This record gives sequence, structure tokens and C-alpha cells, in this order.
Amino acid sequence: MKSLRRTVSELWHGWLQRRIPPSRQVLLDQRRIFIFPSAYGFFFLLIAVLLFVGGINYENNLLLGFSFLLVSLFLMAILHTFRNLAGLKLVAASMRPGFAGARGALEVRILSAHHAHLSIWLHWPGAPAEEVSVEPGEEKSLWLSVQLLRRGRQHPGRLRVESRYPLGLLRSWSLVDLDHTCLAWPKPLSGGECPASGGDDDTGVNHQDRGSEEFEGLRSYVAGDSLRLVDWKSYARGRGLNTKQFSDPAEGRLWLEWNRLPGHDPETRYGRLCYWVLQLDQRGERYGLRLPDGELEPGSGPLQRERALEMLALSGESG
Amino acid sequence: MTTAIGRAITAVSGVVLGKEEQIRLAVACLLARGHLLIEDLPGMGKTTLAHALARVFSLEYRRVQFTSDMLPADILGVSIFDPDSREFQLRPGPVFTQLLLADEINRATPKTQGALLEAMEERQVTLDGVSRPLPEPFYVIATQNPVTQAGTFPLPESQLDRFLMRISLGYPSAETEIALLSGSDRRQQALTMKPQLSTAELMQMMLLVEKIHASADLIDYVQRLLGYSRDGGLFVAGLSPRAGLGLLRAARAWALLAGRDYVTPEDVQVVLGPVTSHRLQGSAGGTTAASIQQLLEAVPVVRRS
Amino acid sequence: MARVYQVPRHAFPWLISGALLASLPHMLRAELWLSVVVPLLLLWRIMIQRGRFAMPGKLVRGMLLLGLAGATLYSHGTLLGPDAGVTLLVAAFALKMLEMFRLRDAYVVIILAFFVLATAFLFSTGPLITIYIGLVLVLMVAALIGINHPESGVSPWRHFRLSLTMLGQAIPLMLVFFMLVPRLPPLWSLKVEQQQGKTGMSDSMAPGEISRLSRQNDLAFRVEFEGDVPPPSLRYWRGLTYGWFDGRRWSQAVPPALDRQEYVRFANGVSPQWYLQLLADRGDAAWKYRVVMERSGRQWLYAMSVPFSDKADVGLARDLRLVRRTDLEATYDYRVTSYLMPVAVEGLKDWERQFYVALPSGSSPRAAAMAQQWRDESVSDAAYANRLLRWLNEEQFYYTLEPPLLGQHTVDDFLFRTRRGFCEHYASSFAFLLRAAGIPARIVAGYQGGQLNPLGNHLQVRQYDAHVWVEAWLPEQGWVEFDPTAAVAPARIELGLEQALAGFDEQTDTGLAAVLRSNPLLTRLSHLIDYIEFGWAKWVLGYNQQNQLEFLSRWLGKVTPERMVMTLAAVGGSLMTVMLIWMLWRARRPGLKWWQREYRAMLRLMRKRGLNPPAHLPPAQVIAAAAQRYPRAAAALQDWQHCFEAAVYRPPAADPELLRRQLVVLRRKVARMSRL
Repeated sequence: MKSLRRTVSELWHGWLQRRIPPSRQVLLDQRRIFIFPSAYGFFFLLIAVLLFVGGINYENNLLLGFSFLLVSLFLMAILHTFRNLAGLKLVAASMRPGFAGARGALEVRILSAHHAHLSIWLHWPGAPAEEVSVEPGEEKSLWLSVQLLRRGRQHPGRLRVESRYPLGLLRSWSLVDLDHTCLAWPKPLSGGECPASGGDDDTGVNHQDRGSEEFEGLRSYVAGDSLRLVDWKSYARGRGLNTKQFSDPAEGRLWLEWNRLPGHDPETRYGRLCYWVLQLDQRGERYGLRLPDGELEPGSGPLQRERALEMLALSGESG
Repeated sequence: MTTAIGRAITAVSGVVLGKEEQIRLAVACLLARGHLLIEDLPGMGKTTLAHALARVFSLEYRRVQFTSDMLPADILGVSIFDPDSREFQLRPGPVFTQLLLADEINRATPKTQGALLEAMEERQVTLDGVSRPLPEPFYVIATQNPVTQAGTFPLPESQLDRFLMRISLGYPSAETEIALLSGSDRRQQALTMKPQLSTAELMQMMLLVEKIHASADLIDYVQRLLGYSRDGGLFVAGLSPRAGLGLLRAARAWALLAGRDYVTPEDVQVVLGPVTSHRLQGSAGGTTAASIQQLLEAVPVVRRS
Repeated sequence: MARVYQVPRHAFPWLISGALLASLPHMLRAELWLSVVVPLLLLWRIMIQRGRFAMPGKLVRGMLLLGLAGATLYSHGTLLGPDAGVTLLVAAFALKMLEMFRLRDAYVVIILAFFVLATAFLFSTGPLITIYIGLVLVLMVAALIGINHPESGVSPWRHFRLSLTMLGQAIPLMLVFFMLVPRLPPLWSLKVEQQQGKTGMSDSMAPGEISRLSRQNDLAFRVEFEGDVPPPSLRYWRGLTYGWFDGRRWSQAVPPALDRQEYVRFANGVSPQWYLQLLADRGDAAWKYRVVMERSGRQWLYAMSVPFSDKADVGLARDLRLVRRTDLEATYDYRVTSYLMPVAVEGLKDWERQFYVALPSGSSPRAAAMAQQWRDESVSDAAYANRLLRWLNEEQFYYTLEPPLLGQHTVDDFLFRTRRGFCEHYASSFAFLLRAAGIPARIVAGYQGGQLNPLGNHLQVRQYDAHVWVEAWLPEQGWVEFDPTAAVAPARIELGLEQALAGFDEQTDTGLAAVLRSNPLLTRLSHLIDYIEFGWAKWVLGYNQQNQLEFLSRWLGKVTPERMVMTLAAVGGSLMTVMLIWMLWRARRPGLKWWQREYRAMLRLMRKRGLNPPAHLPPAQVIAAAAQRYPRAAAALQDWQHCFEAAVYRPPAADPELLRRQLVVLRRKVARMSRL
């Protein structure tokens, strides 16, 4: 039984994949739109049938006509509900990452080419739906929240685009794969000692062209040095051509290291590192990050935090 | 303010006879912050035009005659170590001016051409890693010879895109020529012209150009022109979005010259040829100008369906 | 408590006005309390929407529902049946407006409103109410569209326009369904108990009952003839016969010796002997016509003798009248061919003769004695009958709608004392006198006359045309019609009731109708209205199985259920496809803006004037060229160009609506000024 259901589900997804292949940009057309009466639609038809029976029994042609009008209206609603979705263009836009276990958000841009598309509902599986309307030629952007379960890149599944406008008697929908992914940072795990090493062992490295925070000294001019860095004043005093040396401040530079968290499973290590990244960032410290598959040069500020978190999110992913 | 521009144009027309349309285009190009390419035989009054423009708009003027042995430094400038002051001193090249007449640009090597065109685009010159902004306004009038002669390097199409307009002055009409022959030396006359606008006023006018209203319908018309240039099969390659922006900017400047605060389709049609002729290449035999005329006639001004 | 669902502001006006207007026909028709309660409930709902009141609690709503059910029970004595059911439905529908906690409730209310709206057709079926209901339907659909658009700041008119469009698109499809969906016979019998009850004839007659009808202006039926319309003196519409007299009341009765099967012959039933005989004996076909009858609640159909109809559910009764298998609950339409009365070949059967001469013993002895005497003095039955008619004509009998009451011996009392009466008095006495003389006689009830509507060339027969007359069996002739009323008041037959009464210094008090008739303009108007109503009755209300088959066989040849379904699918499907293609095609090209349409109109005008400016010319140049050609229109053209430029190219400043109107005015001016 279970395997049967799985087979059906696989067949369905395979079919969907062929029918609506993943793409960053999807134009909804008749191949991609499904349509089916809603519960109210059935209720409406029931009323029409009741009126039909009444019309037959009372031999009342107007009652029959009214019932036919309701049915015709229903048929017209098929066209209108379909049209409300047809011609809508969906484009995957930017992404707002979040911590694993919380929510992230993905931006979807909705464009209308020719006619208005009103009251369109969009949502990823398992997430609340958002309503949007676009007028002809208009473009709207919508942030849709995504439940982030694991660390790493996350595919939110197929976006469900649904509309019942105008009459609510029918539901037209499409399941589009916008090839959109949301980044999930590791869930911060507090506790433990700061898995960091001070930077004393790094002093030998020459930091000549990186940053210019602190004047370090002069050395003799080497062809190729930027003229900007030539100490013209000393040259004027006849001390020859010298180039100014600058360096990063050595103290307060911390390396958060994967290797300093032995004995934990990888996800815990990422969680710890994440926690410390946030901690250090909050204190405004400079820090670097060393992971088995790469390292981030020390730095501080929001950009550094962003980079560190991204690295933590993507670490361990092949490719 | 526009009357001042009008006076300026009249003044220039008094020197460069019978070329009012081209003068207006040159001024529009200046107001639209573009650069102008004049394709003409020598002796058609290019220099006089440039000179006169510089005078009436009180612009600092330099002229560079391009030759094949010219180096980028000859245009941009060079840092020279001054043993007296024992310091490097930058000697800015002729590009550091407000109006540059680049005569016979196609005689220079592509490298030199590239240096100038880059400076035109960036509106700054980087020497020894230091960027120096060019003066404001910065207006280049480049000329090139239409007849392909030995030892010329025709400008590549991508470079031509940097010029907002290309015009040609052409031979004068018979009456104009008589007036020309009987009058005094035009170039001398240009030197003695009185400025009509200060630089500050000119800058203000340039700001005003950007505020000229282009309605949705007009933008739609411009877009349909661009679209047809791409899909109409008239040209090898259609107009770029940059060309479209240029077209709209030139039309705005033209509208300002006409004393309007909004663009009309006529403005677009007037500047269409000058703005696009050097960017397009007709696909079917005929001249580019004829193809552009076809483009113009194929696109209805007001949407009909 | 969860947040209560709020009907969008832009949908609410449609919802509330739709609800009120949907209930209105019922409120005007049904009990007074309904027309008080429904507006109150809707007002309450408006207050809730405005935030003045809260939604009533469960208890209040329950009490209200009980109250409404109780009131219905009190008014109708039942909660079942269409009449009470509809009252309860309307009341409950209004109450449901106070129970809108979720979107679902809003849907239910609107779909219920469709139902409420449709039930109005149970009680009236005119063209006007149909248009009215169509308009209310537009409102309800607009409300439905509105609740499906949860955003705020939307114009309600947008819903209205879409609703109008959708219904407009649905109407062709509806017409296809209406024409092609097979009409089924009733699944079970239902009756609407209308308040006015049954109108028209009843199955018995006592003095004074027909004259009651004569005060009614209601339409009984309309007749459309193929060919000439018979003169008034031949327009005797037979409905039923009264064969039994109890001294006061004449009643319809079937001779006890006859079983029902024998009595009425239907097309698909067995043909009894008398019917075959009739077919053999009947005279020439005299009239062919179509009768469209209003709902009567009875099964009697009216026709001139001897009527034959080929409808399956119409039968011919032995007393030569048409009956329908079931009562008429709606407009009914049937075709009749009338043949001349057959000449009797055989005499009456004995039991039949006995039945038609039977009189209660001792009733009206004076009249009975006179009959005996006069018959003895006459040479034949026919001569006796003619003597009676002559006597009625010569003696001082009065034709009046307000006869005095009659005593126990009604015939004696009338013939010898009051002498003032209406057709039933004359017919009753005449039949009595015939029977008393041993001549088989019966009373025929129906209508006589009818007013010709020159627009449709059809007759309208109204209740005041109700009439009774007599048929007597004469040897060697068969049933012969006698109209004693004609002997007293010939104008009744030739000119109608009103003229006849006027001859006896009496006015009908059909009041308004008389006023209407006296004004020629109003007469024409009433003819027009009647013509429209007749068309409605014929083509819409009377479109039944028979008509459908006739209509379809013209297109399909032989009509089979398969063919009907195929046609329905083909026509309906292609209609839908056409609409889909149209909608998608329209979607491909964005609509023109108003100024673009205006420009196109201007160019069209110029083309009409022989100017053909190329499309790539800027408007200003086009106008300049036109101004040169038409100097007279130059000023208007320049103004137009100015406005156009302001609307299209200038920075927006002026009111665009104003500009639009100005442009149209100027263009018309240009059109005038450029005319040569």
C-alpha cells in the first residue's frame, strides 16, 4: 500500500517535472494551469440542479432559464478563472537567509504582461499564503517565508500559485518550480569555550597590501610599488625612495576554528561556531573563521558576519 | 534662459553660415552631455563651429590634431619628475579642457583613440593610479574623414556608441557660399565672438534637460522605435538600450531648445537620425540613412492597436 | 474568539442591496411581517458592518430563527410546501446575514440569494419581473466577485462591470441550454397555492357566479389564428359542460354509465367508439389556431367546437371539449383545429338521453308546466326552442350584472318575477325549459368573444368574457348551440359585455380598464404591452416539449435524445471555444488608452474627409496638414491638437476626464466645420 502511494507520488512528481520544469522564470499558460471546481462551486451547481428540478416540476420555464443561467455563469467562470492566472509571469528574485529551524524568506517577482491578475495566492508547501494582485504592465515583489529545517541551501519545493477570482466557484492553480533556494545558517548553539586562537603565531606574514589601518614602517622602494605609497617627504630629505608599510592591527584578531571543537558532531560544531560568530560580532571584535573546507580572513562588521554565516551554512556541501 | 541659448545659436549661425540645423544639433548634444562626431571632408567649417561654440558658451577650448604617431600620453598628460622641485609633476594633457576638438580622430592608433574615448565615457583620467576628474562641462567634438584613406584606423562600432550624435556639415549652398566668400575670415570672426552664457548657466541648462517631461506615451514610442530597429529586419543589429537612453536625452535637449518642458514625437524624430546613424548598419544594400527613414515610417507615432 | 470575517468594503454595498432587492418581490407578495422583518435584519447587518453593533450571539440568533419559523407557521399553518417554504427561506436568508463569521458564510449567503431570487419566478413570470431579477443577479454576482477580492481600496464598480460582462457572456450559452436541453415531464406533482386561488370557471355554476367573473379583468388566454379571425358571433370558447341540475346549481357530471377511460380520449390511449364515430362524422376543418393559456390551476382547455389537438397530454372528452391530463400550473400553449359540428347519424343512447333530460322533481313547477304546454303546441323540438328564444327576446327581460336574489324555485322566480339576470340565469332557465319539454340539453361554460389586438392579430380573452350557453340535442341534427343571452342582449355577443350592459343603462365597474379603453393612445399602449406579453408567453413561458420538438426537428430532422445531446454539446462547446479564443486574443493585445482611441477616431475622420496622413507623422504635423486643407476648421483643429498634446505629452496637470470630453467636443466640431 505504502509503496503504491509512493509510486503514484513519484509518477506525479516526474510528470510535473516534465510538464513544468524548474526555471528561474515561469510564464503561466494553459499547459501549466490546472483548474477544478471548489466546494462552493459544487454547492452552486447543486443549487442550479435544484432549480432545474423545480423548474421541471412546476413547469416553470423561467426557473429553468435561471438554472441554465447559473450553469452558464459557472462555465464562464471557468474561462475567467483560468484567464486570471494565464499570462502571469513569476520570476525568482533575491533571498533572505535565516537560521535552521526558523524561517527564511524568498522573493518572488510577479509580472503581468497584458491584463490584470487579481487576488492571486502564493505559498510554498507548509508555509502561509500571501495574496497579491497585479494590474496590466505592473510588477510586484513578494517576500514569501520558508520554513528552514536544516543547515545549508534549501529548496522550498514547488510554489503553489492559486486563484479563485472572480467567482470563487473554481480554483485554478499551478505548481511552479522557480529553482529558488534559501540559505539556512546553522542554528546557534551557545555554551562551551570560545573555539578561537589568538593571532600571535601569524606575525610573520606580510600584510603589505591589505588594509591600511596602521602605519608599520618604511622599506626601500621596489619597482612596482604604488607611487601613492612612496614616502615623498623622506625622499625630499635625501633618504632615497622608500615605501610606506601598513598592516592590520595584530591584537584582537581571533580565529574561530573548526579544529578546536573536537569530540562534537559536525552540526554541533557549526552551531557553536555560529554562536561565537554572533557573539564576537555583537562585541564588535575582529575575527576570522577556519573550517575544513576553507577559511575567512579576519574582519568585522555586518559584511564579515554575513560572510562567516554563509560559509558556515555552506560548509560541508560538496561543490 | 532659453533665449540666451537662442542668442548663442544665432551668434554661431552668423559665423557658420547656413548650418543652423547642425548648430542646433551640436548645442543639443552639448546640453544632453553627449559628445559629437562630425564626419566631413576637411575645410567644411568644423573647427570654426567648435571654436564659435566654445566662445559663445564661454568654454575653455583646445584642439588636437590626431596623427598616427600620437600616444595616449599626448592626450591625457604625463607625470614628469621635476629635478628642481625633486617631485613628480603631472602635466595634464589637452584633454583637460571643457571643449575638445579632436580633429581627424581616425588617424590615430586604436590605442590612442581608446584613451580619448575612455576619458569621454568616464569623464575622468587615471594617471599613475590617481583619478583626476575632467572639467565640467566636458564636450568632445571629434571629426573624422569619410573617405577611407591610407593610414587611418576607423573607429570600431563599440567606440562609436560613445558619441551621442554624428552629424555632417556638408557643402554650403550657393548663396551661403557667396556670402562666405565675400565675408571676412570666419575663424578670425569666431575668435572675437562675445560669450552669451556663462559656464554656470550652461550647467544649469544641462540640469534642466533632465527635468524635461517625457510622457509614458512618448517613452512607448521610443521603445517601439528601438524594438522595430531590432525586429524589423532593417539593420544588421538593432539599437542598444544605451542608444535608446541617448535618443531620449537628445530629444529632451531638443525640446528644451524649442522652449518646451516636455518632449514631443517631433523631437524624437529630429534627433533620431543623428543619434542612431553611426550605431546602425543597414542590412539590405541601401544607405543607413535610408534605412533609418524606413524605420521612422514603419513605427506609428500613436499606438493604433 | 477568532476574528470575525469582514465583508470587503467594496463588496458590501452590492451584497446588502442585492439581498434587499432579491427579497423585495417576496416582501411585496407575502405576509406583512416579512416586509418588516427583512429590512430590519438587513439594517442590523449594516450597523454591524459600520461597527455600531456586534454580531448577535448564538442565543439571539436561535431565538430569532424560532420566531421566524413560528411566524411562518402562524401564517401558513405549515412549514412545508412552496409557499411557506419560500417565506421561511426569505426570512432565514435575511437572518443568515447576521451570521457571517467566516468567508464561508458569505458564500452561503450569496448562493442562497440566488435561490431566493429564483423562487420569485414561482409567483410571477412576466417579462418585467424577469428583467428585474436579471438586474438583481448582476448585483449578487458583483458581491460574489467582491468577496473574492480581499484587498482594500478597490472600486466597487469594477466588480459591477465584471459581473455585467460575465452575465452578458453567459446569456448566449443560457439560450442554447434553454432551447436544447430536453424538457422532461414533471418528476412529481407540485402545486403552488397562490393566494388568489384558482381563477376562472369552476366545475359547477349557481346564479351569480359567472357575473362575479365578469368583474375580473385578468387574462384567461390568448388565441392566434392561422388565417382569418372568426367574427365575434362565432367566438364561443367551450371549456366544460354542466349536465346535472339540482334545482339551483348546474354541475359538471359524467353519466354514471360511462367509465373514465371511455369518457376522455388521449392521443396515446385507446380510441373509444364515439371518438371513431366523431372522426368519421366531423365536418370540414373551420379554424386553425394556437391558444396560449394563462395558469388556471384547472385542467380544462378552451377551444371552439369541435376541437382536435395533436398534443400528447391533451385529450378530447365525450362532451366535445379539450382537457389536459394534469392541471395547468404554468402558462400552457396548445394548437387546435376546430371542425364543424357533426350531423348526428345515430341518436343519443338511452342512458345519455335520460341523463340530459333529468330534472329534480317538483322544481319550478310553473316553468315546467309552461314547457310541457308549449312543446305540445310546437311542431318540432327546434320550433319549440325558437319560440322560447323569441319569447325571451320579446318579454321584458333585462341584462344586468346585479340580479336580485332568487327564491327556492329559481327558474320560476326568474322567468316570472325578477326577469333581471345575467347569462347564467338565461342559460339555466333555457336549459331547464328544454329539459322540462323532454329535449336533452346541457349548459356549456366557457368564454365568448375576445378583444382583437391589431398588433399581433390575436384575440385576448379575459375573465369578463366568461359566458354560459346551452346545447340541445335535436333529432337529425345532433348537438346544436343556443345562446339565450343573445336573444335578450344581442350586443353582448357582437360587441362585448360592456356595450351590452350600456344598452341596459349599466356600467361595468372594471373601472380602470374602461378608462384605458377610452383613450386611443393608452389603447395602443395596452395593445403593445399585450403584444409583448403574448410573445413572452408564446416563446418563453410556453416553450415546452412540443415546441422544442417542433423547433428542433426543423434543424435536426428526426429528433432523438442522442442528437439533442450532440447538438447541445456541439453548440455549447463551440460557443465556449469562441469566447475563450476571444478572451485570450483580447489578452494578447493590451487595450488602447482613451487618448489613443481618440487619436484613431481623429485619423478616421480625416480619412473620411479624404486626407490620409501616414501613421508616422507626429500629431502636430497631421493637424497642420488638415488645417491647411480645411481652413474653416483650422481653429478647432489647433485647439484639438493643443488638448491632445496636453493629454498625451505634457506633464500631467489638467483633469484628464475634462480633457477627454473636450477632445470629443472639439473633434465633433472639426467634423462639422470640415464638411464641405
